[in-house]
Amino acid sequence: MALSVEEIEAAMIAKAEKSPKPQLYIKDFYACAPDMKPREVKKIANALVTKGKLMFWSSGSTTMYAVPSRIKDEEK
Amino acid sequence: MGYDPKNPMEGRITDLGPKYYGDMLPPVIKENKGKWLYHEILEPGVLVHVSETGAKVFTVRCGSPRLVTVSYVRDVCDVADKHCDGHVRWTTRNNIEFMVDAEEKVGPLKETLKGYGNSFPIGGTGASVSNIVHTQGWVHCHTPATDASGPVKAVMDDLFEYFTSMKLPAQVRIALACCLNMCGAVHASDIAILGIHRTPPMIDHERITGVCEIPLAIAACPLGAIKPAKAEVNGEEIKTVKVNNERCMFCGNCYTMCPAMPLADPEGDGIAILVGGKVSNAKSAPKFSKLVVPFLPNTTPRWPETVEVIRNILEAYAKGAKKYERVGEWAERIGWEKFFEETKIPFTDKSIDDYRLAYDTWRTTAQFKFTSHTAAYTK
Amino acid sequence: MAKHETPLLDELEKGPWPSFVTDLKRQAETKPECWDILGQLELSYKDRITHWKHGGIVGVFGYGGGIVGRYSDVPAQFPGVEHFHTVRIAQPSGLYYTTENLRALMDLWEKYGSGVTNMHGSTGDMIFLGTRTENLEPLFWDLTHDLGQDLGGSGSNLRTPACCLGESRCEWACYDSQEICNHLTQHYQDEIHRPAFPYKFKFKFSACPNDCVAAIARSDFSVIGTWKDNIRIDQAAVKEYMADNAEYPSNGGAHKGGDWGPFDIQKEVIDLCPTQCMWMEGDELKIDDAECTRCMHCINVMPRALRPGAEKGASILIGAKAPILDGAQFSTLVIPFIEVNKESDFEEVIDVIEKVWDWWMEVGKNRERVGETMQRVGLPTFLSVMEVEPLPQHVKEPRSNPYVFWKEEEVPGGWDRDVKEFRKRHAA
Repeated sequence: MALSVEEIEAAMIAKAEKSPKPQLYIKDFYACAPDMKPREVKKIANALVTKGKLMFWSSGSTTMYAVPSRIKDEEK
Repeated sequence: MGYDPKNPMEGRITDLGPKYYGDMLPPVIKENKGKWLYHEILEPGVLVHVSETGAKVFTVRCGSPRLVTVSYVRDVCDVADKHCDGHVRWTTRNNIEFMVDAEEKVGPLKETLKGYGNSFPIGGTGASVSNIVHTQGWVHCHTPATDASGPVKAVMDDLFEYFTSMKLPAQVRIALACCLNMCGAVHASDIAILGIHRTPPMIDHERITGVCEIPLAIAACPLGAIKPAKAEVNGEEIKTVKVNNERCMFCGNCYTMCPAMPLADPEGDGIAILVGGKVSNAKSAPKFSKLVVPFLPNTTPRWPETVEVIRNILEAYAKGAKKYERVGEWAERIGWEKFFEETKIPFTDKSIDDYRLAYDTWRTTAQFKFTSHTAAYTK
Repeated sequence: MAKHETPLLDELEKGPWPSFVTDLKRQAETKPECWDILGQLELSYKDRITHWKHGGIVGVFGYGGGIVGRYSDVPAQFPGVEHFHTVRIAQPSGLYYTTENLRALMDLWEKYGSGVTNMHGSTGDMIFLGTRTENLEPLFWDLTHDLGQDLGGSGSNLRTPACCLGESRCEWACYDSQEICNHLTQHYQDEIHRPAFPYKFKFKFSACPNDCVAAIARSDFSVIGTWKDNIRIDQAAVKEYMADNAEYPSNGGAHKGGDWGPFDIQKEVIDLCPTQCMWMEGDELKIDDAECTRCMHCINVMPRALRPGAEKGASILIGAKAPILDGAQFSTLVIPFIEVNKESDFEEVIDVIEKVWDWWMEVGKNRERVGETMQRVGLPTFLSVMEVEPLPQHVKEPRSNPYVFWKEEEVPGGWDRDVKEFRKRHAA
């Protein structure tokens, strides 16, 4: 039974909130939607950024995802 | 109305992409796209392309420093408005090209360009040293081992006569990358100027907790020289890393991933010279550049050691190579042992590969030339 | 902002090559923060080390690329460069501009930034060098609303595709490199602006094997023009070259400054052909096209006599990268010939791209370029992923070790054997 987009989104946010380090690679989200192609997973993650639930974290050469509140904590 | 910080999403436009190139083309280019028959370089920096329709486009190519200001680009626009109906283009090697549709327009265009002093040197065509492609260096980058715009200026000042002429055996492509990340992808250039570090990273234990993901820093090392460690900071034990300095190859990849591992150093950093690369498939296959000078110091402001080495290589090549032979083709024909003899570059163990796939570069034949290097065996 | 003394940089105002220092000083008259750029650079020349800090988390909302954060490590001394972020502006394919567009871009950058640019960055974007975080959104607003254009790529995104000038001004173009470059840039806006991949991914389009954008050295996905029929020969023009007619200079006039003597077709063309597939028959130049590897040398030398064939297209090579970390790689030939077809919206090329992506996004490790993934799994595995039959053209030479990874189904009877049965015939 494939997961709904809402269920996948919730799983992604939960993963980003609970992971030991705040920044996640896109690959870390693949497990949240095991039946989907990586490009579909990426679209869901990027849509979460547009909704403000996740944010991009970039080193310049590599881009990762994070929950905004956890990044603000680190900035302090 | 412009951006409203209170309603950042209202009326927001995204994903437009670049301007359509078709709207940027000069009329003579647009009308003859796909119809060009042949071209000729009339003189250094001036080309003509002839269409099957009989139309011709004349191009005047000028060097530029790549690092340019709004004022400089407006000067370019003034020239293009005056002579080229408001069109201009850049080449992939940071040259500026002004195009006109009749031969009699070339002279006045060149006169205008000369009126801008040193701003727009005409050249960079054919068997010349064209403009150097390069990276940011100290003017903008956080990982450089040398500056970019400064050494480029010094080298181009010295090689200026080769930019404005076409007397070399073939085109010579020089490129500079200010660290081993090689944003400039210099690894397939006739002469590559490469910023290198020689000091292993320091560990900033007080910073590492906030700014680094320790597993990423450890994984960043291609030689496994970084290991997890503990340190005491303000009486508290923290998780950090340690570096096995003996294994460090100074690539800086750890610093890219972890700001608490800086490795830049005024004495340690400098320039390596690699030669003999090429990109074009013409005659021989594309080749990587090979390391011939392992280290030259960052002697600011004009890098005289680097300038001298490059001139030596270029002059030895100009003297020894046959027409059409690129630097790497010349070095392979005469043999690298002869390359070192002709250029008077001391050969050191640093030029012998001991990284991955090194064996591919070791000599596994009894064929070689006797040179000054083998004198101890032949005297 | 105070003017700084720059005795070291002043040395770079000497000499015939255009001086970026002179240019920056002139700009500082109207953009005082340029004094702080010069001041900090002078300090770097004195200290022989960079004074920029590691990047930071900046961007425009919803985009994961196009902006690279940069901060000074001496902001008290040089407040004008405290924030000095880079903005990448996607370039028009082939780097042609109208002055109207260029002036509008310069006005925008004068308003929101330092007034310093790169024409262009290594990947091909126009680079705006140095602005503050609070200027990013207003700049992006004006860029999209007033100029109708957009940012380029950075980070783990598709980087802004780049091409040679192709058919617009080159007789050797074997396909319309600008058109496909522009089309795919528009088609993949999402991948350019928002992270999509384990690491960066670059397309470069060179319309002939001379490869003026260095696609084979710098791009994960290199599309290099070629042809499948015969080199077109104009025998009358060959005779003009052989007669040393001044209107037919060798190499399109590229050697005019050297003292190379009269043109010698045998020495300069026929003997330098890497496959030795050319010869003279009387005063006619003959080419055995079946032996030709389309290197371009003869065409480069005699552009008025020789042209690429008429049945044109491209080869696709995959996996180039700079040396970080395991060493530099050139792209490897995967598709020997493909039509690059605007009528089909380049569907044939898009199919190949998406096959690579679907596989690499799954199998590629974090921060692993596709060329490294190919090395890790091996070319045979990669070819089977790409659904491409292995060809001798995929290798320079066959392997010299015998360690083939045989699959069970390739061995009659399979691998499932009974050691007890074996021992009945072969005592231990």
